[in-house]
Amino acid sequence: MMERTTQKAGFLTAAAFGVLLGTGFGSMVASAEDMPEGFKKGELAPPPSAEMIEAGKRVYFTKCVWCHGVDGAGDGPGADRLWPRPRNFNQGTFKIRHTASGELPLFDAKKPVDGQNDLFETVTHGLPGSAMPPWEGILTEEQRLQVLSFVTTELVKDRQFTDKETETQTVLNLGQLQPKEATEESIKRGAELVVEKKCVECHGMEGRGDGNAFNLKDDWGFSIQPADWRKCWNFRGSRQDPYNVRNIFRTFSTGVNGTPMPSFADNTSVDERWDIANFVNSLCERDTLGKPLPIDPLTDKPKINFVIPSDPVEGEIPTDLENEAWQKAPKRYVAMGGQITHKPRNFVNRIDDIWVRSLYNDQHIVYLVEWDDRTKSVAEGKLPWAPTEVNIDVKEQDPKTGEEGSIAAHQNNYTVYNDAIAIQTAVKWKDLPAPIKPRYLFGTNEQFPVDIVKWEADGSLHAFLGTGWDKDFQQRYDYEENMKVLKAEWKNGRWYVMIQRPVGNKEDQDYDEDTFFEVGQYIPTIFFAWDGHNGDAGRKMAVSAFYYTFMNPPVPQETYIYPVVIAVGVVLLEGWVLTRRANKKKGKTL
Amino acid sequence: MKALMSLGALIGVAGLLLLGGMTFDIVPSTTIRLVEGYMPMQLLFEVSCYVMGFAGLSYILNAMGMGIPRFWQGIGFWVFFLLYLKYRVYPPIPFSVRAMYGTVGLVAVFMWISANEDDWKKFKQPIMNVLDAQTGVNKLLRYAYLVLLPILIGGFSFNAMMPKSEEPIELRTVHPAPPASTKVHGKTYTLQTSQNPYRVNPEGKYDQEYSNSNIVEQGMGRLMKPNANPWDENSQGYLKYVREGGEIFFQNCHFCHGDNLNGRGLHAFAFNPIPANFTDPGTIAQLQETFIFWRVAKGGIGLPNEGFPWASVMPPWEQHLTVDEIWKVILFEYWHTGYYPRTWD
Repeated sequence: MMERTTQKAGFLTAAAFGVLLGTGFGSMVASAEDMPEGFKKGELAPPPSAEMIEAGKRVYFTKCVWCHGVDGAGDGPGADRLWPRPRNFNQGTFKIRHTASGELPLFDAKKPVDGQNDLFETVTHGLPGSAMPPWEGILTEEQRLQVLSFVTTELVKDRQFTDKETETQTVLNLGQLQPKEATEESIKRGAELVVEKKCVECHGMEGRGDGNAFNLKDDWGFSIQPADWRKCWNFRGSRQDPYNVRNIFRTFSTGVNGTPMPSFADNTSVDERWDIANFVNSLCERDTLGKPLPIDPLTDKPKINFVIPSDPVEGEIPTDLENEAWQKAPKRYVAMGGQITHKPRNFVNRIDDIWVRSLYNDQHIVYLVEWDDRTKSVAEGKLPWAPTEVNIDVKEQDPKTGEEGSIAAHQNNYTVYNDAIAIQTAVKWKDLPAPIKPRYLFGTNEQFPVDIVKWEADGSLHAFLGTGWDKDFQQRYDYEENMKVLKAEWKNGRWYVMIQRPVGNKEDQDYDEDTFFEVGQYIPTIFFAWDGHNGDAGRKMAVSAFYYTFMNPPVPQETYIYPVVIAVGVVLLEGWVLTRRANKKKGKTL
Repeated sequence: MKALMSLGALIGVAGLLLLGGMTFDIVPSTTIRLVEGYMPMQLLFEVSCYVMGFAGLSYILNAMGMGIPRFWQGIGFWVFFLLYLKYRVYPPIPFSVRAMYGTVGLVAVFMWISANEDDWKKFKQPIMNVLDAQTGVNKLLRYAYLVLLPILIGGFSFNAMMPKSEEPIELRTVHPAPPASTKVHGKTYTLQTSQNPYRVNPEGKYDQEYSNSNIVEQGMGRLMKPNANPWDENSQGYLKYVREGGEIFFQNCHFCHGDNLNGRGLHAFAFNPIPANFTDPGTIAQLQETFIFWRVAKGGIGLPNEGFPWASVMPPWEQHLTVDEIWKVILFEYWHTGYYPRTWD
């Protein structure tokens, strides 16, 4: 009896052991099989030397502490007025990686190699679209490695880069993967896949980051918004090479830690991921020939041309965007910054660019303004101030660091006002001795006023005269009758607004209040944009620098005549030289 | 000699291929980056590499009996120089400046090809040959030129006369003359005699020497001195105020002037004129602290006309900051860039 029991127990133990072993083995096999396609096992890097950490501390406390904070908790003095917020290092959560979702990024203090050192690349190239600048040329390669040695060992507190028991490295093998050619078929399949994989739920039907995800939060509870696929130069992991499809492939494969963006490595094949990356890449704004926009290497944004050309059209100006005249009109990128000169200042500016086209005929000039705004904001009910009021009571919040009531915490709780756009042109610009202009913000004084045309999302279109940044506008009812909104539509995260105004160069119009639009002249023009969900109203808005509206003149006759005259002149000159030479050779002198 | 020339040729060809590739987007245009602050030196170095390369190439071709005539060498190099100025130099320089450099380049080429009578003759020879048209080829060339030149020049003038919409050039004075005194928050400051009240030693006395001893000599990648950490809780005097100034800077100024103080902040790309680059030796390093005080307090609006006050988004900081805060920010800017303010003597 006893014997049998022992035997049984022994058998059971053995069986249990076997099962354990089997599952252990099985799980090992499974994990090798589970390795998502395109990934390989990686090694943890050795810890950096104590000297490097010590040297890195000096770098950190000179350059980084101001945003990332003394303890690396992303709460430096600059943090609260930034959006997106600076990274909190403590938990070891990093966005841009070659490693699987949830894992630490690649960092080796001895190996500053592209594709093998995520943190080094981030510090070197910065994070476009955020306040993190590229440190290349500011810090030496060694200093960059030193500061990272400090950050990864002293400021990452909850995890250890060298702990073999808790940390694994599953590395995206991007160096070995060749991008798939961006054929029409691949892009089409990508377009289907982003719907199938539910990318559009956050990134929106047209990829403008306007999905139902407006109230997304990151791991620290701060407001965060999905990327706008049309602005690849703002992709945080673009590493100053925004049109490179590999960056998108990487982000999509690894996910963005700390944010709601998951890794899609487990439920897509490498082939599918290239299709999606090709599709997303194809959405980024391009020029009329379909070529990537030239990017300014010093700002990582599209290069700016300060002239807004306006083409002439015969007869009525078309209101249809698909019309050939609009399709052919050059589309200009207008960079927008926050209004930070006068209170209430707009540090967290959500509209960073608008796109402008223009056409004119003998009566009117039309501006077509398009800009991405993730939310259509229309104020409910009547606003508590008159449209002419400039110095309205929108409070400017003090920066608080890491406390309740910080700007970032309030980000999605602002009172909603109207989205709006305004075009400001100089009055009497012909009288101004060049290059003098009225002040960019609502004009200088009575002597140098500006002509402001403002459209708001509640459908109103007003004309104002601005005589200074702190003075209320003068409304111009007589003039408003002559203006028209030809189109105002918010579709999938983008506003399309077409505003028509008289060219103002008729005898009977009041030259002291109207901007005089003259063909072939540079007319100083400024754009303002308000995002209603950002609490933008009054002077809290986005502003552009001075641009010029330039109405392209029809080509004058002389352009065809003079070159012919010159060519004939050259022929005569040639004849003279040849004769002279021939005479000289023959020994004749004239 | 031969080895040296071959090396030159190799450098030249490799450089040319790279440059061509970058211009036509075959290799990424960022393959060889222009690093801010080193740009002029980098460009000079590159051009000298090309000169070396061309010399080597010409030597080798001569040795192989396939030498390019002096005439084409001169013209070829000049054209290369013009294209280099147009496509390689970044940020792009205006046409007027390129024309100036182009002329200097042309003079240099002329000096080179007319260095002695022999060379000059060699240079002129092809032109004379075409004019005289003794051979069939030259006759053909002469007719070709007769037709082509008027067409080309006519075409160029047509192109020049076509209405274009290029941005008008406006020249702005970056550092206009400061006034004798300025009134901030109701108090008048005489710029010649005012001092930064926070340049003090740990005992609280004004001490230029002490603050200087806590500034690291300028140079790229400036870092704080060891044991001079303004974030140390025990720091007193100058260093404490540097931290306070830095906090104000990063809450207010870095959006334009940048985390590096190099004028490339988050919003900077949208503005024109672009925000000042404090790490450039031409800005705060050239100026007195009181000049900065005046500029910070009065902002863009306070500029005289030659400074384009209508275009500047620089806030009049007296609306947002106290006098003390302004002085502290200035203290921080000098500490962070490693420059010494200019003094009045």
